[in-house]
Amino acid sequence: MATASISLRDVGRTFGATRALAGVDLDLKPGVTGLLGPNGAGKTTLLRLLATALPPSQGKVNVLGLDPEVPAERTGIRRQLGYQPQEVGFPRGFTAFAFVDYIALLKEWTQPAARHAEVRRVLDLVGLSDLGAKRIRAMSGGQRRRVSLAQALLGSPPVLILDEPTTGVDPEQRVTLRTVLAELARTSIVVLSTHQTEDVAALCERVIVLDRGQVRYDGPVTDLTGQAAGRVWLADEPDPAASVSWRTGTGRYRNVGGRVRGDVEHVEPSLEDAYLLLRGGSPQTEAAEEVAS
Amino acid sequence: MTSTLAFGPPATSPGRATFPALAIRETRRLVLNPVFLAAVAFIAFALWAGPDAGQTEIDTSNPYAAISLGGFGMMATYWLTRSMRASEPVVGVTPVTQPARTAALCAVALVPFACGCLALLRFVQLTPVSSPLYGPFSPSARVAVLVGQIVVPALGGPLLGVALGRWVRFPGAAFVLFLLIYGWVSLVTILSMSHANSALVAVLRLFAPFAFFTLHSDAGGVTAWRGSPWFFIGWQLALCAIAVLVALLRGAEGRTRSRIIRALGVAGVAALILLVLAALGGFTHPLTA
Repeated sequence: MATASISLRDVGRTFGATRALAGVDLDLKPGVTGLLGPNGAGKTTLLRLLATALPPSQGKVNVLGLDPEVPAERTGIRRQLGYQPQEVGFPRGFTAFAFVDYIALLKEWTQPAARHAEVRRVLDLVGLSDLGAKRIRAMSGGQRRRVSLAQALLGSPPVLILDEPTTGVDPEQRVTLRTVLAELARTSIVVLSTHQTEDVAALCERVIVLDRGQVRYDGPVTDLTGQAAGRVWLADEPDPAASVSWRTGTGRYRNVGGRVRGDVEHVEPSLEDAYLLLRGGSPQTEAAEEVAS
Repeated sequence: MTSTLAFGPPATSPGRATFPALAIRETRRLVLNPVFLAAVAFIAFALWAGPDAGQTEIDTSNPYAAISLGGFGMMATYWLTRSMRASEPVVGVTPVTQPARTAALCAVALVPFACGCLALLRFVQLTPVSSPLYGPFSPSARVAVLVGQIVVPALGGPLLGVALGRWVRFPGAAFVLFLLIYGWVSLVTILSMSHANSALVAVLRLFAPFAFFTLHSDAGGVTAWRGSPWFFIGWQLALCAIAVLVALLRGAEGRTRSRIIRALGVAGVAALILLVLAALGGFTHPLTA
């Protein structure tokens, strides 16, 4: 059986005069892929393209061998898709159970018993089994976020697109959600966009960094983190040689960037350090070369 | 947290099996809608709990169904259609297309239609078609007048609400449209009183989803206005078809969109022909019994 995959070839998307994505080439396989980038980098646009919510202005998208520009094939993709958008509104008066049940119906779960069991399962997965009867409008932001995640998990879809799934979710639930997504990613393609680099570090094998609509980095998380080796150090003062410095809880300054130095107190770099380094203008290739040497 | 992950294809039955299930779900939402419940309570009270046994004019109570089931039904289906708009980012990427969801919403209009049929039966029970209150219309024409005034608006109003909900963003649009239609019907009725013999005014009177065919005069007689109640029903049904097609057009693409546009053209021409026939048919001038 062929491995499920998504491919994008020279994909671009513009909104009027604004270019949101340009020349994106990607291949996605089962596993968790993290999407990082600053606000306005094109992450949400890319996810909407993958979720068939938006057609590309140029290039070709192929999801599980189907072309989303052909209506019948788009429906075929949607049958195998779970999508949690960045923002979702909920209809007035709906409980968590009723909303997820409604979406399950739209996902063609027509048998009530099977549908209800599935709704209970996904609500349980996101830790809302006790709040199924609660009106969504009375829920906290984090709970609403989990409702929108629950509907995306219906049917354990082969393709799961998540736009900032852990925003507003408490740390305990975030760890639980990581477990759920890691389990699902054994067979499914999971793409998640987030500003939480620790989620990407904990969950993703691969990370894509977008900047101004273009792919700035695409590779293993460990490789990106490795590019920051020797470029993160602690000091009593902000180091002018660093690209970024901030005061930590211990009162010392964490400095990131500049050239690899030997005369400072180095610390283990995090994915966030590597991301900041990448964003700070240090050429990726140069950093890689230095790490290699 | 006790659930385990259940992988594999979901127990779905894709395609057409979804439509009846979705239509039933939307129908359940309609019958629980407070506006629709209020409309049903109003018509039930007006026709069952508080019937006026000594009514002297049919036009006093027969617009009740059009106002409640048609007007308030339109507001209810408008709300129903708009309610999922905020969830469109999720709803819009499910396998059920927007036209299919719209069709399920249109199907809920069968509930107010059924209520309209019951209201008609009750009205006929209260005011038999043999009653002199209908003026010089034949018994079959009397039935046509009542169907056009009680049953068809109960179907058309909710369909119009769905179409409006699909295309208009303004939250109070259904209420504004209700006021406009009410105002228009009142205006052309007043014009018909002052220009009873005018063919143009007859066309204007019938150029509405609801029209009066009789006027109880001060002298105690009943004036039956010109126009064919049968063709008027045809015109109303053509308007219903246009409302459905306009609603379905939203989100339709490819061949489906082309078909809907073609059907809209046919329905538009049919509506025009039926309006002209409604105005030219029936009595050629007002008659007093």
